[in-house]
Amino acid sequence: MEASIDHSPGIDTTLDIDTPEQVRFSFRLAGPAQRSAAYLIDLLVRGALVTIIGVGFSLASLFDDGFGAGLGLLLIFLLEWGYYIASEMLMNGQSIGKRALHLRVVRENGLPLSFSDSFLRNLLRAADFLPFMNALGLLVLSLDSKFRRLGDLVAGTVVVSEERQDIRPLIAIQPPPSAEELSRLPRQLNLTRLDIDALELFLRRSGHLNPAREQELAEMVAPMYATRFSVRYHNPVRFLALLYHRATRGDAA
Amino acid sequence: MKNRDTFVHERSPAWAELDRLLNQLSVKTTPTGEQVARLGRLYRDICSDVMSARSQGAGPDVTAHLDALAARAHNHLYEARPHRIGLARQLLVRDFPRALRKNLGFFLASLGLFGLPMLIGTLGALHSRDFAMAVLPNEMLEQMAESYREGFNSGRDADADAAMAGFYVYNNVGIAFRCFATGVLFGLGSIFFLVYNGLVIGTVLGHVTASGAGLNILAFVSGHSAFELTAIVISGGAGLQMGYALISTRGKTRLGSLRAQAKDLVALIAGAAAMLLIAAAIEGFWSPSAVPMQVKWGVGAANVLGVATFLAFAGRSPKLAKPEGSS
Repeated sequence: MEASIDHSPGIDTTLDIDTPEQVRFSFRLAGPAQRSAAYLIDLLVRGALVTIIGVGFSLASLFDDGFGAGLGLLLIFLLEWGYYIASEMLMNGQSIGKRALHLRVVRENGLPLSFSDSFLRNLLRAADFLPFMNALGLLVLSLDSKFRRLGDLVAGTVVVSEERQDIRPLIAIQPPPSAEELSRLPRQLNLTRLDIDALELFLRRSGHLNPAREQELAEMVAPMYATRFSVRYHNPVRFLALLYHRATRGDAA
Repeated sequence: MKNRDTFVHERSPAWAELDRLLNQLSVKTTPTGEQVARLGRLYRDICSDVMSARSQGAGPDVTAHLDALAARAHNHLYEARPHRIGLARQLLVRDFPRALRKNLGFFLASLGLFGLPMLIGTLGALHSRDFAMAVLPNEMLEQMAESYREGFNSGRDADADAAMAGFYVYNNVGIAFRCFATGVLFGLGSIFFLVYNGLVIGTVLGHVTASGAGLNILAFVSGHSAFELTAIVISGGAGLQMGYALISTRGKTRLGSLRAQAKDLVALIAGAAAMLLIAAAIEGFWSPSAVPMQVKWGVGAANVLGVATFLAFAGRSPKLAKPEGSS
């Protein structure tokens, strides 16, 4: 296969980083679902802390005339505005919720965020929260190509996923392709890396999809390949599997 | 590629080692020199593996695995810079007043948006009770008038002072932060919060004065208002600046135009927050104290002068370029 580097964007939403070492790798960007889950965990943590502070200082206020209440309000203020800044500084871009979901805030160039980045992105939560329950932030985030909310846009940060990705064995099609099936396909398939990756991602999900849905999905792309290679097929899923087999293993059955 | 399996087989011990090392480092805070050196080595190797995998088509899961490992290693190697206390000082005593002077137009616009409704509120409430009741609920007005009727000749309990100081931090800094943050909506949020807060503060001032406790409330607010009102105007101004950068981009992209302001915005908001903390301490402990009114006036005037002098002159000296430079 040719040794040119494919710089076309991948299938997942990624952020490509050119490092000082002159290599390029991709961060996977965290989408609205992961971000919301992390937010909810942090919300629970903060809720628990506020409850503890509230109960503690209410008890204290039985014995004084408000010194405890003052201190409690100060702590609640720090928690409301400083929770994320403090945790992102202490844990290099993570909060408890983000850590649980293997997310991390980094700058758009892939470098760790500084205090002023964190300060800005977290103050802007007040705008992202509008008009209620982070509606605006979620809307902006969903429309943005890098899943950035308002705070991320102003501060120049993104949230990336550090979840481990496992290497799985090569796909073996069941039942193995017969010589007759393979002979109907052209010897050289002009498929790009992106085509092959898309096929592989589809075939890897085949056990988890509802069979009817699987057929439906395959039927959406199979005609395109059939026209391109001037072949016909009966079963679109099988056809895609054969294309993948031919592209990755050539003639071997 | 020679063979995906061979590639994975040959290289996976190194990948597994990097994975283990990263897991160790994520729980341990200070890595040993050996670990750092090894991490650097493995990181460089995996970077070249990423390139090979991508150029030779090792498949999406191999590429994703390597990308994720490289990203994790990258985030460990390039940790955040250490934070020095000198930098915070530099931000507050040098960058903050400089940023304010540089963007004076937004400060003045914010002052107008805050000051004018405040004036209207004051005059309106002095003139007619109906005006005051249109702005704020009657019970709240009564409560305000009541609380200033007595004056502060007997002072207040120290614990109550602490409670109020805590409340002022929670409430006022929150207002200032919201005043700033909502400016990202093309300045609209800042305009709303400035006008609203100006009107409310003015109305309370006017109503309390109309009910006969004018000297009491003025003596009360004289100490902290130099800090508090200025800081709210500064926050609002920073919000307007952020919104304006979205509208007038000067040949940059909207995002680029917004980003170009980030450094100034951080300095302005950090400065405003610091001023509000000072204000909360004064408002909680000094303003309600039993100190004679004349002394409060004097201190208030000194504070106005001090704040104005600081904002006008701090950070002009080139010596401050070094964080440890001058006093």
